[in-house]
Amino acid sequence: MQQTDSEKKESRFIFPAWANYLLPALALMGIGAATYLPAFVGLGFSAKTLNVGYAPKQPVPFSHAVHAGNLGIDCRYCHTSVEDAAFAAIPPTQTCMNCHEKVLPDSAKIQPVRESALTGKPIEWIKVHNLADYVYFNHSAHVTRGVSCVECHGRVDQMETVTQVQPMSMSWCLDCHRKPENALRPADKVTDLTWQPPDGDQRKIGLALKEKLNIHDPAYMTACSTCHR
Amino acid sequence: MSDHSHDKSHSPEDYGAGPGSGGTLKSPIFWIVFILVMGAVISWLPLSIIAKSRFTTSEKPRIHIFQDMDQQPKYRPQATSAIFADGRAMREPVPGTVAFGDVQESDHYYRGYERIETQQQGKFEVTYFKGFPEEVTIDENFIKRGQERYEIYCTPCHGSDGYGQGTVHLRALELQQATWVPPTSMHTDMVRDREEGHIFNTITHGIRNMPAYGKQIPVKDRWAIVAYIRALQLSQNAPISDVPQDVKPTLR
Repeated sequence: MQQTDSEKKESRFIFPAWANYLLPALALMGIGAATYLPAFVGLGFSAKTLNVGYAPKQPVPFSHAVHAGNLGIDCRYCHTSVEDAAFAAIPPTQTCMNCHEKVLPDSAKIQPVRESALTGKPIEWIKVHNLADYVYFNHSAHVTRGVSCVECHGRVDQMETVTQVQPMSMSWCLDCHRKPENALRPADKVTDLTWQPPDGDQRKIGLALKEKLNIHDPAYMTACSTCHR
Repeated sequence: MSDHSHDKSHSPEDYGAGPGSGGTLKSPIFWIVFILVMGAVISWLPLSIIAKSRFTTSEKPRIHIFQDMDQQPKYRPQATSAIFADGRAMREPVPGTVAFGDVQESDHYYRGYERIETQQQGKFEVTYFKGFPEEVTIDENFIKRGQERYEIYCTPCHGSDGYGQGTVHLRALELQQATWVPPTSMHTDMVRDREEGHIFNTITHGIRNMPAYGKQIPVKDRWAIVAYIRALQLSQNAPISDVPQDVKPTLR
């Protein structure tokens, strides 16, 4: 077999001619990796991806949409401790039986409630919004100063199953601690999940309330010991 | 023989003896293309999992990548405990004990009635207190507080106006609940004539169909609700003589 001229020429190089196209391909891969990895880490490890959307199946298919939405029962009817304590108490079975003693007493859905009322053994509800144990969130400190339930829990009055809608990460808490005016409303409207700021101007009413309530400055609000002890 | 001299003397058949040895290969080797294509395809897999977890809900607990000290061996309110037979971490007070500062001496404030032992052994005469106890001050703020508490705990059945047309009552009618007894209207002579202490006791312990609210509403708030009920009753049953002179002509 006779060697052609071009083959002779090529043979002087270690890599074949098509390898030239690998260079742009490698550059593309480099750019791809440079966008892919931050996207993967940033999105994949973000609290929004990991935390939001948790909607456990509860032992009783209790619908907030029916009770808080349709019937318009105030949040505090059941979560009585929210204004006085750090913890917004899950109601005891007796609170369910206030009505269900007489309304739909034979419903199959509330069988576990009846059983609990008879035996005195509490229903084991599953905690949806679960902060890390080194965070000392205080419900009363927030709701009595006009941070509404809806800011953290979303439109619970429209939820068939309670679902976590906010990331509840530290940076998410700090967003509000830096600019509390974005979440302040008159304290008597905290459980009104449909409330809208007058004239749609949240900043105006927020700043006014911040001034009136003497809310701490950002340096205090973002200090470690404000939330961690 | 050095590589250099070999290069000069080699025959064409030597080229392409193995993958990656360079030379006359006209097109990229299959496995390089294969890896590139597969890489491009597989890289979408984590992204689609991320997209799924961002846009759908999940019944399973959240993924917890960094545990740190998120779950500490301590009890939070209403948690479960393996130590106690009933499984509760929160304990009830020992029967027969009274917490510091929780001695409820005032009959009027804490109970709304007093019991006086009669001549007959073990029989008591119960009288409800009229008026408000000295522990509370009736002012605008107190009645406003009462209104707020009334709206939370009473309106579901009694309605905002006190006529007994609350949403829970209407729902019970809608569901045709045979066991349902309609809530009492506040605007009857029966309720109007009741002593404040009696209404307080009704809130605390319930009456007929109405459940007890003593556990849900603190003592002071119960008195605030009583004060608001009085205001509510007055609003529906005010004599014309109570209307200020300058407003009277505007009434029809």
